[in-house]
Amino acid sequence: MVALPKEITVEESYLEGGGLWGWLTTTDHKRIGVLYGLTTLVFLLIGGIEALLMRIQLARPDNTFLSAHLYNEMFTMHGTTMIFLVVMPVGLGFFANFIVPLQIGARDVAFPRLNALSYWIFLFGALVLNAGWLANVAPNAGWFGYANLTESYYSPGLNIDFWTLGLLISGVGSVMAAVNLLATVINMRAPGMTFMRMPLFVWSVMVMFVLILVAFPPLTVGLIFLMMDRFFGTHFYRAVAGATPLLWQHLFWLFGHPEVYIMVLPAFGIMSEIVPTFSRKPLYGYPVMAYSTALIGFLSYGVWAHHMFAVGMGPVADSAFALTSMLIAIPTGIKIFSWIATMWGGDLKMKTPFLFALAFLIQFTMGGLSGVMHAQPPIDLQQTDSYFVVAHFHYVLFGGAAFALLGGLYYWWPKVTGRLLDERLGRWNFWTIVIGFNLTFFPMHIMGAEGMPRRVYRYPGDMGLNSLNMLSTIGAFLMAFSVLILLINIYKTRRRGAVAGPDPWDGRTLEWSIPSPPPAYNFKNIPLVRARDAFWREKYGYEQPPTAAPAPAAAQAVEHIHMPPPSLYPILIAAGITMTGIGFMLWPRIVVTGLVLTVFSAIAMAFEYPEAGAESEASIGPATGLDTRKVGIWCFIGSESLFFASLIATYMIYKGRDLVGPTAETILNVPLTTTTTFVLLMSSLTMVLAQDAYRRTDRTWGLRWLFVTIVLGLIFLGGQVYEFASFYHEGLTLQTNLFGETFYTMVGFHGAHVAIGVIVLAVLAGASLAGWFKVRNRDVAVEAAALYWHFVDIVWVVIFSVVYLMRAIAKA
Amino acid sequence: MTSQAETAGGVGPQHQSRTLAYLVVAGLLAILTAMEVWASYIHALRPILVPLLVVLSGAKFALVVLFYMHLHYDSWTFSAIFLPALLIAVIVVISLVALMVRFFAGF
Repeated sequence: MVALPKEITVEESYLEGGGLWGWLTTTDHKRIGVLYGLTTLVFLLIGGIEALLMRIQLARPDNTFLSAHLYNEMFTMHGTTMIFLVVMPVGLGFFANFIVPLQIGARDVAFPRLNALSYWIFLFGALVLNAGWLANVAPNAGWFGYANLTESYYSPGLNIDFWTLGLLISGVGSVMAAVNLLATVINMRAPGMTFMRMPLFVWSVMVMFVLILVAFPPLTVGLIFLMMDRFFGTHFYRAVAGATPLLWQHLFWLFGHPEVYIMVLPAFGIMSEIVPTFSRKPLYGYPVMAYSTALIGFLSYGVWAHHMFAVGMGPVADSAFALTSMLIAIPTGIKIFSWIATMWGGDLKMKTPFLFALAFLIQFTMGGLSGVMHAQPPIDLQQTDSYFVVAHFHYVLFGGAAFALLGGLYYWWPKVTGRLLDERLGRWNFWTIVIGFNLTFFPMHIMGAEGMPRRVYRYPGDMGLNSLNMLSTIGAFLMAFSVLILLINIYKTRRRGAVAGPDPWDGRTLEWSIPSPPPAYNFKNIPLVRARDAFWREKYGYEQPPTAAPAPAAAQAVEHIHMPPPSLYPILIAAGITMTGIGFMLWPRIVVTGLVLTVFSAIAMAFEYPEAGAESEASIGPATGLDTRKVGIWCFIGSESLFFASLIATYMIYKGRDLVGPTAETILNVPLTTTTTFVLLMSSLTMVLAQDAYRRTDRTWGLRWLFVTIVLGLIFLGGQVYEFASFYHEGLTLQTNLFGETFYTMVGFHGAHVAIGVIVLAVLAGASLAGWFKVRNRDVAVEAAALYWHFVDIVWVVIFSVVYLMRAIAKA
Repeated sequence: MTSQAETAGGVGPQHQSRTLAYLVVAGLLAILTAMEVWASYIHALRPILVPLLVVLSGAKFALVVLFYMHLHYDSWTFSAIFLPALLIAVIVVISLVALMVRFFAGF
């Protein structure tokens, strides 16, 4: 199947044309954003119904509406759904996907087909997560999935398998989306759009993309360990084998706390757009706001263990994490005061988006303050596992993040659809949800302080909690009513809403300079940015003369704008990955089919586009002059570093804790591995020589060096297969001891990376033989493959040292 | 930075110097690997083996990243993407190991 670049000939809205097939094969960031938005809306309703069922159960003491089993499934799936399938994807997939290219003056994201692939993988992962409902085996161990409750001994059904597999699949989609959007922000900004001229929303989501790239790998590793424990009988979290379930908590919260900021940062960004627009003033303290955003991102990665004060980490660790947890309140406080200072003296327009922003400010601050309370270990010990914590994180994630997201929905809806949402219904929506929210969650502070524990499906009637629980349930139903008002508003204004026009709010940023809804290509001419708040300045003039602007790009006539073509392969690849996963869990016979579908679809997609890899304006960043593909592969390598760091850390943690042999000191064959290490190192030399030859358009030598690299890679893999086989014969299996499971997993994953590298190089060699590299600038494909290859090489440098050369060191 | 001769498909002086650099780096990688393996067999070096291996493998790591992955020649943007991620990876390994070792040791 060959798709040609879509040539835009008429100024049509991105929503027009294509029919169902057009939506299934779309690579337009705006359509993909809308798909994310619709999907998250469906899951919002599902997660909301789960919450209502829980509140019905808790409305009265000793209620029998839900069984304990069903209640466990409800709170697990409510948390998992709202976090992974609603709040995070609505920020990442809907708002960031739709708005970022418009705000930075780009025509699409860096990798449009990868964008589609991210969405389909996310959707299939979400379906797998929820598939358990069909067979009454929905996940039931909490959204945090604590080991050893999740081990097969305690949770023998398929419940946890659906959870693990669904999260692994949707996590792949999230990482792909983050790589794509980060490369977009770094490299596709319009000329003149420096980092310090970027809208604060772009700043906020940029930090979120970075957090996704560094936070998801530890979770992925934790989930892989869990799957291996459940499917292959390893003991990553089993104390009887010398391991500890605490490892899961570290890996999970290494992801889990940055995840809070992954959800909240888009909300911060939305606030920074709504508040200045409706105050009719520039954002107060822009540079400090930008730096605070970056600092929040950095600090959020160093606070994970405050979720673990109750496990007993010792006073030093407790003190360190208490300190970092309190520190993060400083940049967050800076943001709160900047928004207040922006409003101060402003010409406030009390429209629905601004009302939601005001509510965010108050409720998020309340949630933040209760967070500072349990950043102190002694207080945390009193509040852990109580409803006080439930109140806290709902004030942060619902009263904070979700309110800002709702404000963002009202704010950008006219840009997405071309029509305004009804203001009167918007106010009804706002006031009912504010009252409902506070009625639901404020009493939980008191309930928690009075001693009501979390995750219990009933409570005795003599605890003095009956009225508060009833109040909470009434509030939940009021919120459900409020969501119904929102749906009515959407339905009512779908066709008959007021036409928005390009700039209904008198906006400040570039998205308001183009029609609503935008044309498929976004900007007829790539804008030239000469100041912060670029569109506002263009409308109202510059307070100071604009700084020297880069040379304007040649104006492009609309008939020559080429947009990425539609592609069916993203959905096929996502289907292949999902088939592989489900086959692994239920029907091993479809694993091979899934793998074949994935690999062949990926290769077909790589060569689907006749101009792929050729020199084109789309692959070179207008602001940086860098090749977008290289930026993307470096972002991916950054994320991979955290994946291997988690594996290496686990190996070191469990080193020397084996209860039975053989161990590293007794079994490792250093001479053999030294030889294969040398082979792998030399493959880096041949790889860089191949890359150099292609860069000089010397395809003959390029192909030769490529073949040598493939052969060296195969020799390395052969050595690894031999090593594994000999260890197996000597009695070291995956289940023997902690050394066996950590060694085989870490070295095995590295070997899998080498194998993928060999396949990629073989495909490139085939393309070279077919003359594909005759087109100018396609050598970047070899360069991208080379970067990946060298990265795998440096990972081995570390593994060789830690595993083989430090074999005689008893413990970490 | 690509020279004019190179873009035209020719072999410029910069290209020759880079090829030489690649070969020198390969030689250094081989020597450093040999030193690492040798050190791991010397019993007298056991007390300083860990820091020694960290330095030697760190040098190999840096050589590959700077010369084969071209961070030495390429835009600083790529370093700005990779180095913070690498720093976080190192911090994660050190903190996880430190926390868990203390936990196993009973603080």
